[in-house]
Amino acid sequence: MAEEVLRLQGITKIYPNGFMANKDISFSVGKNEIHALVGENGAGKTTLMKILFGMEDCQQGSVYIDGKEVKIANPLDAIAKGVGMVHQHFMLLPSLTVAENVTLGVEPMKNGLYDYETAVKETQAIADKYNFKVDATSKVKDLSVGQMQKVEILKALIKGAKILILDEPTAVLTPQETEELFEQLFALRDSGVSIIFISHKLEEVMRICSKVTVLRRGVCMGTYDIEGLDEAKISRLMVGRDVVLKFNKAEAQLGDNILDIRNLVKINAFGKHVLDGVTFSIKAGEVVGIAGVEGNGQTELSQVISGLTDFASGDVILNGKSIIGMNVKQIRDNGLAYIAEDRMVEGVASDMSIEMNIMADRFFDKDYKNGFFINSRKIRKEVEDYIKEFEIMCDGPDQPVRMLSGGNVQKVVVAREFTSGANFILANQPTRGIDVGTAEMIRKTIIRKSREEKTCTLLISADLNEVLECSDRLLVMRKGRVVAAFPKANQVSEEELGQYMLGLKEMSAEQMEGLL
Amino acid sequence: MKKGQRKTEFIESIMEVVRIVAGMAIAYAVALLILILISDDPIFIVKQFILGPFTSLRRIGSIFNLATPLIICGIAMCFMYAVNKFNLIGESIFMISACAATFVGLQIGNSLPMVIMIPLLMLVGAIVGIILAYIPAIMDRKLNANVVVVSLMLNSVIAQLTVWFLRYHMRDTKLSYLGSPVIPENMQLPSMLGGLKVNAGILIALVIVIIVSILFFKTSFGWKIRLVGSNPRFSRAVGLSTLGISFAAQLLSGAIAGVGGAVEIMNSYKRFQWIATTGHGFDGMVVAVLARKNPILVPIGALFLAYIRIGADVVSTSGDIPSEFITVIQGIIILLVAAESFLSGTKKKLIYKSVEKEEAEKRALAAAEKVEEPQKETETVTEEYKAPDGVVDTPEEEVK
Repeated sequence: MAEEVLRLQGITKIYPNGFMANKDISFSVGKNEIHALVGENGAGKTTLMKILFGMEDCQQGSVYIDGKEVKIANPLDAIAKGVGMVHQHFMLLPSLTVAENVTLGVEPMKNGLYDYETAVKETQAIADKYNFKVDATSKVKDLSVGQMQKVEILKALIKGAKILILDEPTAVLTPQETEELFEQLFALRDSGVSIIFISHKLEEVMRICSKVTVLRRGVCMGTYDIEGLDEAKISRLMVGRDVVLKFNKAEAQLGDNILDIRNLVKINAFGKHVLDGVTFSIKAGEVVGIAGVEGNGQTELSQVISGLTDFASGDVILNGKSIIGMNVKQIRDNGLAYIAEDRMVEGVASDMSIEMNIMADRFFDKDYKNGFFINSRKIRKEVEDYIKEFEIMCDGPDQPVRMLSGGNVQKVVVAREFTSGANFILANQPTRGIDVGTAEMIRKTIIRKSREEKTCTLLISADLNEVLECSDRLLVMRKGRVVAAFPKANQVSEEELGQYMLGLKEMSAEQMEGLL
Repeated sequence: MKKGQRKTEFIESIMEVVRIVAGMAIAYAVALLILILISDDPIFIVKQFILGPFTSLRRIGSIFNLATPLIICGIAMCFMYAVNKFNLIGESIFMISACAATFVGLQIGNSLPMVIMIPLLMLVGAIVGIILAYIPAIMDRKLNANVVVVSLMLNSVIAQLTVWFLRYHMRDTKLSYLGSPVIPENMQLPSMLGGLKVNAGILIALVIVIIVSILFFKTSFGWKIRLVGSNPRFSRAVGLSTLGISFAAQLLSGAIAGVGGAVEIMNSYKRFQWIATTGHGFDGMVVAVLARKNPILVPIGALFLAYIRIGADVVSTSGDIPSEFITVIQGIIILLVAAESFLSGTKKKLIYKSVEKEEAEKRALAAAEKVEEPQKETETVTEEYKAPDGVVDTPEEEVK
């Protein structure tokens, strides 16, 4: 193995909300090495790199650079110690020139004034050395995305970075720009820079990296030589179940179509098709799961179905009525219950009481009013019943939700959504980051409601256990489209699923016929 | 888990009290420090500042009279603050409503009995308030214009408009200064409680507090306002019309600020003579912040502010300190009480420590049971990453 440049030892990071993003992660990077760091979204890649770059602190663990233990307090400190990072979102000043951006913080000075000429010269020299086709005197706002990325890399290089972190650098690039970037990364590697390449595009990892470290849900699955690995093997390491859960669930008794999604297209502000012709339907009594690497349209899909954002074309029909032109209240009255992806943002008002949060969708109904006033006694009684039924651990209905643990916050959300009388439950990441007991309660309730009350459920989750075991039918989303459909979710192997999720395979329309 | 939760809650409530007390202590300490620098007799001055407002019945009564408009404006601003719209139009509504109430009162004269006259003029104030609050509110709703900027700019426009009206349509030409004729007696609120000389306006203010508190906590509109203010995206997701609700709250706020202006004229003045805005709208925001947008606490915040102001007056008349100096102390107190994250680092540390301690206990327990560390193989890696509050479920529990 080449000389070791960087070693992370036992890094553990717990966020203030109790989410453990990294658990005891160790790996090392050698000189002249392009080291891939792969994992699904939420696996802890970015958190780990933020710790290395001094943007986050960690509770345990140490960082060694060139064999010496270092404490990295902040990004400036990281840069001084030779670590550079290129973020997914560029941090450039558009109205300044390339040279000005690159030398920001290390400005060459002459007679106490900024020496622009030298800045241009220095910048151009480095750019030419690595064959970056960037003009140091042009304004950043006139550059293409690929060139802006070059400027970001130059920023790190001019400060003497020996370790360069690239956070999903190819996500914003065209194929040609990607090729160019790779050439330059090779040049950098050969000149002695170690590169950490974060990605979940496996074909790129196979092409340019010599080693790969795989993270899964905050845990390091090990570091491997690329030689001797193939994409399928990496995908198996990335996507997999930690513990195989089994549910005994009765066979679904299907009814009529409750939800019909027809050729749904949503285009985001950047003109990208985030939903690209999604079509499927769900019947009464059925749980349909959607698996996929995050960021492939799942969030947009749930936002559209719940009426929170609009869409370009297509239609969503719930209980026989199109949601076009309906507001959120009307859609909910028409049968929607929505367990939002980010519970602290869309699931609860955290400063408000448990009572208000549980009743938030219904306190204005006639049933809960006493003339002009709210029927406090009735509301209080119902809320107390729900607290008991859903086993919400709290001091009482008046306690603000922010004081609860993640699992109990989610119980507040489901206490509202499961009791709203809806016949369609849209559950986006219903058990993310919560304790095992609550997660199981939520999953069981979803299944029970579908079997006993004939609710139809769309379950979007990054947790494979959950989608494989709770769902009757399983769809896979990638790049805003449904790329695979399986009639029996619990008979799909993780391996097969991983290949569809990561884009190694795709089903044709004929193959999915009758399954959408 | 329950234990940890209670502990967190306990730390939160203790820190809340500590924060307010520490804020006031720091402010008084700074005041003392400045006084020592600029006064010959700092101890006397501080004593006057703290105790002076209570040294005569008249002064105690003044606290209440001064607090009356602060309560009403504090309530008005509670609506703005509750829906997170820092709409400051209340400042000029207070002024123009006072002018409008004076004008209508002068037109009607002594013909109506007081019990009709006073509510009528309050209604005039409220209507003027709604009309003017509509402008920034609708611009916020339809044009997405920044409500702070729009309302601040409108304040100068409305203030100058009021002065123009006073000068050309209401001026008492017998006066050497700019002012309206004396308002009819049936719109001058009587004073009560003998030597205290508290005017009846405080009763109106308290009735408004009660009505608005009921509205906030016992009606669905109040619930909607609080939910929308607390988390608009959540409110939208459960089907509330966030834009409409915050629009309505802003209009109501304008109405109450208008009532405040009308009541102030009837409570403390004999003629309308303001040629600039009075600062009551801004003070109302301060009171609302002090009261944590809770209308029940507004009288406390308003009385506190009035008490500091009277203290400042006492000091400036009986000592060698200009009353402007008190503004400094006021600012510091409000800053420290309002700054929600003041001492939050300490709070976080305390919470983190208690969680850490629990975790350490768990670990010790696990070590005692002597079970192996989790391996990297798929099967033994458990779902511990999911544990909330940093509480790690040990893998052996899973195996069991």
